[in-house]
Amino acid sequence: MVGPFAWFKWEALFRDWTLFAEGFGTTILVSVLGLTLAMILGTIFGMLATSPWKPSKLMSRVYVEFIQNTPLVIQVFVLYHGLPHLGIMLHVLAVGILGVGIYHGAYIAEVVRAGIQSIHRGQMEAALSQGFTYWKAMRYIILPQTLRVVFPPLTNQAVNLIKNTSVLAMVAGGDIMYHADSWSSDTLYYGPAYVVVGLLYLSLCYPLARLARYLERRAEVTA
Amino acid sequence: MKKIGILLTSLFLFAILLAGCGSATSTSSDTGSDSTPADVKAIQDRGVLKVGVKADVPKFGYKDPKTDQIDGFEVDIARAIAKKILGDPNKVELQAVTAKTRGPLLDNGDVDIVVATFTITEERKKSYNFSDPYYTDSVGLMVKKDSGITGLKDLNGKTIGVAQSATTKKAIQEAADKLGIKVNFLEFATYPEINTALESGRVDSFSVDRSILAGYLNDSKVILDDKFSPQDYGVASKKGNDGLAKVVNDTIRELKDSGELDKLIQKWGLQ
Repeated sequence: MVGPFAWFKWEALFRDWTLFAEGFGTTILVSVLGLTLAMILGTIFGMLATSPWKPSKLMSRVYVEFIQNTPLVIQVFVLYHGLPHLGIMLHVLAVGILGVGIYHGAYIAEVVRAGIQSIHRGQMEAALSQGFTYWKAMRYIILPQTLRVVFPPLTNQAVNLIKNTSVLAMVAGGDIMYHADSWSSDTLYYGPAYVVVGLLYLSLCYPLARLARYLERRAEVTA
Repeated sequence: MKKIGILLTSLFLFAILLAGCGSATSTSSDTGSDSTPADVKAIQDRGVLKVGVKADVPKFGYKDPKTDQIDGFEVDIARAIAKKILGDPNKVELQAVTAKTRGPLLDNGDVDIVVATFTITEERKKSYNFSDPYYTDSVGLMVKKDSGITGLKDLNGKTIGVAQSATTKKAIQEAADKLGIKVNFLEFATYPEINTALESGRVDSFSVDRSILAGYLNDSKVILDDKFSPQDYGVASKKGNDGLAKVVNDTIRELKDSGELDKLIQKWGLQ
């Protein structure tokens, strides 16, 4: 009787650890760059959603609703398999970064919008009456106060983003999940492979989740 | 901080425990007085043989969208094994498997045997029991007609799409080394995905066993004449179910000796 977790399967995994290290590196790279893109998009569209100007509000709504209500898998498939038919061949890493970046950008936009709207109207009115322009008031008065409110939910978005990079496994993206699939289906030693990969994701996400909880508690105290 | 340390340590211990369990337990299928091994008897008591087959490989195991029935050469082999164990070829419960799911499904007992273009390798024999080969196929290459590729030598520096868990990568790599050319591989979980990648130009060639390629042929694509490393297909069962493995192997041998296997190969139009 050879179980899925037999010792020789673990040994094989440690022999091939470089494969997993390479995939882990790719996962971290896509996570960091994807998160950067998501933050930029989220901030821009979050501010657009709260601006007094109608067309920009509409633009932000369209982006958020469209991205939030379609699965990430479909979005990545369009980027990977769809665009080449239009003559655009993105590198698979670009597909990953754009995929999770745009997807989580929509969620972060909602977080930012809620954060801005949680600041009392009086703050904006006071700033305008002091002669600030709308954008200056945003930059110096509103956004700094928003930052503390949105930090905990942003950290949760980062955790979700890291986990969602595993969608790359479906398009041969070379991330940790892809290498785990590839290695374990080649050798049929899937048991240890997925346990190790699960622990690797945990090692990235757990500290972030703890950070989110710490920030939430701190925000409660100062609120 | 201390809590986190304890948590992670316990997780690792848990993982190691799992590893230990995997190799420590060993069950011997004890033969009862009626000489039917326990594992085979369990299937007889259940009254149905659970078989993992392919659903996307025409002629081997293919689900016809019109009838919703899975049929093919390998399904017939599964029926022959069911007849041997249960006396009725219709007492099979077919479950569609992919290259990636066949191992886990055998391990957790969802299927008794797998007859799904499963290539026999030394490494895999460590994890599962394999019967004698019932069919030999070779690895082939499919390209777009307008690519102008006529053989493996034209794929120098190009990308080849292969299936996860297939033995294709090794076979092509060896052939490429002999020719002194360099090829890159991308792995996908299912054949339709590789096919999509070929059509969108993500890969320059779709490579897998030739029998499987045949199912994806259309006017814009062509299967090259190149054939690589013969692949022996065997029926797989879980290690420990040694009684079942023997019955399966006996069935395959009988099919071969009686010429029934050749008849099936002809029936499904396989060379």
